Amino acid sequence: MNRPQHTPARLEPAPPTSGRVLDAQLHLLDRQVIDVDGLPVTTVDDLELEGVEADIPIAAGAAAPVISALLSGPVLGTRIFGGRPPSSRLIRLTWKDVSAVDVTIRLGVRSESLAESWVERWIRDKIITRIPGGKHDPH
Amino acid sequence: MKRLLGVALGILTAIGGFVDIGDLVTNAVVGSRFGMSLIWVVGVGVIGICLYADMSGRVAAVSGRATFEVIRERLGPRAGLANLGASFFINLMTVTAEIGGIALALQLVTSVHHLLWIPLAAFAVWLVIWRVRFKIMENVAGLLGLCLVVFGVALFLLNPDWGQLAGQALAPAVPQTENAAVYWFYAIALFGAAMTPYEVFFFSSGAVEEGWKTKDLVQSRINVLAGFPLGGMLSVAIAGCAAVVLLPAGIEVTSLSQIVLPVAEAGGKLALAFALVGILAATFGAALETTLSSGYTLAQFFGWSWGKFRSPVRAARFHLSMIVCLLVALAVLATGADPILITEYSVVFSAVALPLTYLPILIVANDPQYMGTNVNSRTINVAANIYLLIILAASLCAIPLMIITGAGA
Amino acid sequence: MILTDVLGSRVYGPDATYLGRVADARFVLDQPPPGQLLAGARLQGLIVSPHSAGSFMGYERNNVNRPWPWAQLLKWWHRGSFLVLWADIKVMGPETVTLREGFSAHDPGLEGAGTA
Repeated sequence: MNRPQHTPARLEPAPPTSGRVLDAQLHLLDRQVIDVDGLPVTTVDDLELEGVEADIPIAAGAAAPVISALLSGPVLGTRIFGGRPPSSRLIRLTWKDVSAVDVTIRLGVRSESLAESWVERWIRDKIITRIPGGKHDPH
Repeated sequence: MKRLLGVALGILTAIGGFVDIGDLVTNAVVGSRFGMSLIWVVGVGVIGICLYADMSGRVAAVSGRATFEVIRERLGPRAGLANLGASFFINLMTVTAEIGGIALALQLVTSVHHLLWIPLAAFAVWLVIWRVRFKIMENVAGLLGLCLVVFGVALFLLNPDWGQLAGQALAPAVPQTENAAVYWFYAIALFGAAMTPYEVFFFSSGAVEEGWKTKDLVQSRINVLAGFPLGGMLSVAIAGCAAVVLLPAGIEVTSLSQIVLPVAEAGGKLALAFALVGILAATFGAALETTLSSGYTLAQFFGWSWGKFRSPVRAARFHLSMIVCLLVALAVLATGADPILITEYSVVFSAVALPLTYLPILIVANDPQYMGTNVNSRTINVAANIYLLIILAASLCAIPLMIITGAGA
Repeated sequence: MILTDVLGSRVYGPDATYLGRVADARFVLDQPPPGQLLAGARLQGLIVSPHSAGSFMGYERNNVNRPWPWAQLLKWWHRGSFLVLWADIKVMGPETVTLREGFSAHDPGLEGAGTA
């Protein structure tokens, strides 16, 4: 690992912003996602950016990319072990559905309607509901 | 009045829930080999678990985030997964040991071989997790676990030479029959038994299960600060009984019947009955806690829905993972592996893995983003840093000592 | 593209001087909401750390200084971090990020940058 040959001597103040500032590692990645009913859905395994392509030169003055979706599922494995899943295997939670970012990320929709929760639904419908008492509400 | 009852109940269940198969076995082994000369470790361990539980309980109550969610958030997926792997493996070992413990206790009661009890024990654990409310589950196991007080009563009935016991405890020295490496190996085992990580996963997830808020912090602190030290006294009593009866007789603890031998000698059948109920409740309670903890850690890492406050259909992967864990524990026990031996290894590995979960909690308990104004006080941070050094030392020395001493043989 | 592709990439100046690694990406919630719920998140820029690019606590970007000594240690570990703005980025990819001629380095601090 080689050392940086040059570090900027002088730092300009950060430009003013008119909205909340979120750093991906600090405020978004690996956070718990909770649906509108308070049910945990997944953790944020990665983010998808729209408006920029990897390794393709960016035109001067191009509009800044935006977060189009929170990603989960197989992308976790590649974050841990390297590589990249094919785009078709990404499970997306569109940013449109996000209602708040806090120590958790809240959605404005129910998890039932999301592609993300198919494993949970499958296990529920094929296994857990078939065991007597599975629907029993503890309270 | 209701609040006072709540506090009393909380303390009593914390006492009864403190002891598990790891504490039972390790304390009896240590008492029978080292007398009271390692008892100081129980004190060190109890203060440690109080600190650790206080921090993780506070994080859970204030931010609503349980321990493993925090670990994933702060460490990221890679370090988080390594952490999950280690914690989950040790926890699974503890599940296995506790279920074996239930079966061994039932064997003592019924004289039916413990292998026959194992499937029943695992099924009963699953059934309680599947159906019984969290609060009831915790209180019943905790209160019945109080029967272990009989170890304290037995110690008095045995009428030991208190001066000699106190001398061993207050001026600890390595007994002539043992070498220093073995002494320190058991010190780490005892420390690991008192500070098992699952207690913290369970404690913080339990805080979320019971919906603790910032206003409940005082009560949780009382439960911890009164309940755990008194629970630690039970551990000391178990070691004391072994020191008085088993050490002079040269009996080495290899089974539950030797652990309860001093109680039977001191108090006859009635005392023995209490001890057996206590052990059954303690191991059963701990089996519930560890099985739930395995579900908690997995679900919190991957962001699945979890919790006994939801019906199983609303936390499907959580429940399925616990069923799988119980089946794995069953499979391990079915090979005839000795639950006592599994226990002895599990407490040592607990000590090895402790820093992995302790440091992230210490860091988050100081983060105003999660904690607002309820961050650690300066005093707690000083104590927590001292304990971090102790935990690191125990963790680093555990494996080398295990190899040098042949696991304390 | 996927965000974690760019995290950890090596950052070079226009004259190919090595500056560090991408430690984080900063977003600002100031875009018209795509739905009805929360504002869109625009990429403001990347945080570059000359020393390491592990996943970390951001102590160099906030004024949390506890628990001693861990906060101080991590703050020191990430000393010299800076923010480069989107407008100054020429190419970004999984291996390297290249900055434009005359890019400027900004204070990465989160305090006063409008976050909680």
